[in-house]
Amino acid sequence: MSDFLLEIKNVSKFFHGLVAIDDLSMKVKKGQIYGIIGPNGAGKTTLFNCITGLYKPEKGDIMWEGKRINGIAPYKIAELGILRTFQTIRLFSEMSVAENIMSGRHIKSNQRWYNGIIHTPSMIKDEKKNWLKVGELMDFFELRKYATTPAGDLSYGLQRRIEMARALAAEPKLLILDEPAAGLNENETIKLAQTIREVRDQGVTILMIEHDMDMVMSLCEYITVINFGAKISEGEPSFVQDDPVVVEAYIGSDEDE
Amino acid sequence: MRQSYKIAIIFLIVMGFFPLFSNSAWLAVGTTFLIYAIVAFSQDIILGRAGAFQMGHALFFGLGAYTTAILNVHYGVPIIYTFIPAIIIPLFIGIALAGPIIHLKGDYLLVATIGFNIIFIQVIQNDIFGLTGGPNGIFGIDVVRIFGVEFMSQRAIYYMSFTLLALTLLIMRNLDGSKYGRAMFYINKDDIAAQSMGINVRYYKLYAFALGSAIAGAAGSMFAIQYSAVSPEAFNVIQSIMFFTIVLVGGSASLPGVLIGTFVMFVLPEIFREFQTARYLVFGLAMILTMILRPRGVWPVKFGNIPNYLKKKDTK
Repeated sequence: MSDFLLEIKNVSKFFHGLVAIDDLSMKVKKGQIYGIIGPNGAGKTTLFNCITGLYKPEKGDIMWEGKRINGIAPYKIAELGILRTFQTIRLFSEMSVAENIMSGRHIKSNQRWYNGIIHTPSMIKDEKKNWLKVGELMDFFELRKYATTPAGDLSYGLQRRIEMARALAAEPKLLILDEPAAGLNENETIKLAQTIREVRDQGVTILMIEHDMDMVMSLCEYITVINFGAKISEGEPSFVQDDPVVVEAYIGSDEDE
Repeated sequence: MRQSYKIAIIFLIVMGFFPLFSNSAWLAVGTTFLIYAIVAFSQDIILGRAGAFQMGHALFFGLGAYTTAILNVHYGVPIIYTFIPAIIIPLFIGIALAGPIIHLKGDYLLVATIGFNIIFIQVIQNDIFGLTGGPNGIFGIDVVRIFGVEFMSQRAIYYMSFTLLALTLLIMRNLDGSKYGRAMFYINKDDIAAQSMGINVRYYKLYAFALGSAIAGAAGSMFAIQYSAVSPEAFNVIQSIMFFTIVLVGGSASLPGVLIGTFVMFVLPEIFREFQTARYLVFGLAMILTMILRPRGVWPVKFGNIPNYLKKKDTK
């Protein structure tokens, strides 16, 4: 058994001949807060979509707890314990906050096919257990007072919290966050960083894309920098921050314009 | 949706007492209403909940009706025993037909399901295996007999339909309160997010098709009993369009919406018979206006049906 929870080995992804991810490798340790940074269009979200099964990489292997998982359907990836949030928030916006979070309990619920037609005592117990878990998460994310409000009616910051609560409801081993601080104000960002640390302390490994450099540098323990789909640098924040290649990728792209 | 429980109970009480105040002509209209409401609810499971654009639902309604008719008229099976096959056959045919096309999105699925409906009509019009009676259909379906007692009065048939509708409503209530019903809504609202939460989209859409087809089949059996005859035009694409429209105009996944839709589409035409074709002009206009003014339906569904113990403690 390898020491790494998630291993990306020489993964490439093409769209109509264009390279979106170019021979990328990285390793995420259990319990880490792992950051991925890079300019817009570098292929970060594409990588997340490959890990979560929405895309199938053309080359390379994605290893989860030592087993190859590329090409597996997204719902099976979730069953393995890999849950995600989206850069462009994807909530069930007409449904209430509580119902949104309840969707995360889907894979933890043991209801059988006939329970959609007939309720049984064990099913009612299962239902109650899952709703109570939703209640706990609403307390943790301070969403209780919006329990019955349609998720789409709430502010950006709240919607990001609902997405995280929904993913955590599935009790993931790995939580993938795609730009969790985008659109948040300074206070909300500080609070988010604190929440992410608390989640990690509960034993959840975190893999995140983020553009807020202050947050990434203070929060992440290990960082991979991607540009044009390829890894250009990796290491601890202090190393990456001063790596001339990284500085050039960020500042150089400005000079081109 | 708590509110819809109350509406369902009031509706069942009103319909339960309706036969006491009406003659047999009105009872026949009432029975038609109940049967079509069952079909509309079964369409709502597929279209309103799972969000699959099924526009061939009359096929499964027809399968149920023809199963009862063929088994009874050609093989002499008592009506009461035809009821189970009239549920099972549409259920499995529903899974078999939807299986290969379930991944199709919106309009593509819609066209494919219309195709199934057209083929079905073609098959029964051509008197396949000499069983379906061709364009004239099948006549002389027996009355329901249980232990030698005949249930042939309009009132008896009304209450059989009523029981079936009550059962349908109970199933839908149970569906909404289970992970199966919720999964359908999640898929409907955002299938990418649903998959990422571990929901097998294909499985839950097929579940909706199976359940919807089975209930439509039961309603079809009731239809055969009510008219003691079946013929192809009762199950053609126009009928499928009506069921589809009822759900969209009434309000997807909305119990009062579907009831209003069924009433407007199937009962009002019976009441305003003297206006003949003019009524379709009015209905057509009403459909257009509803979609423009109330795109989510006349009575849109309200979410937020969560247990009461989650709503407390909200003041801190």
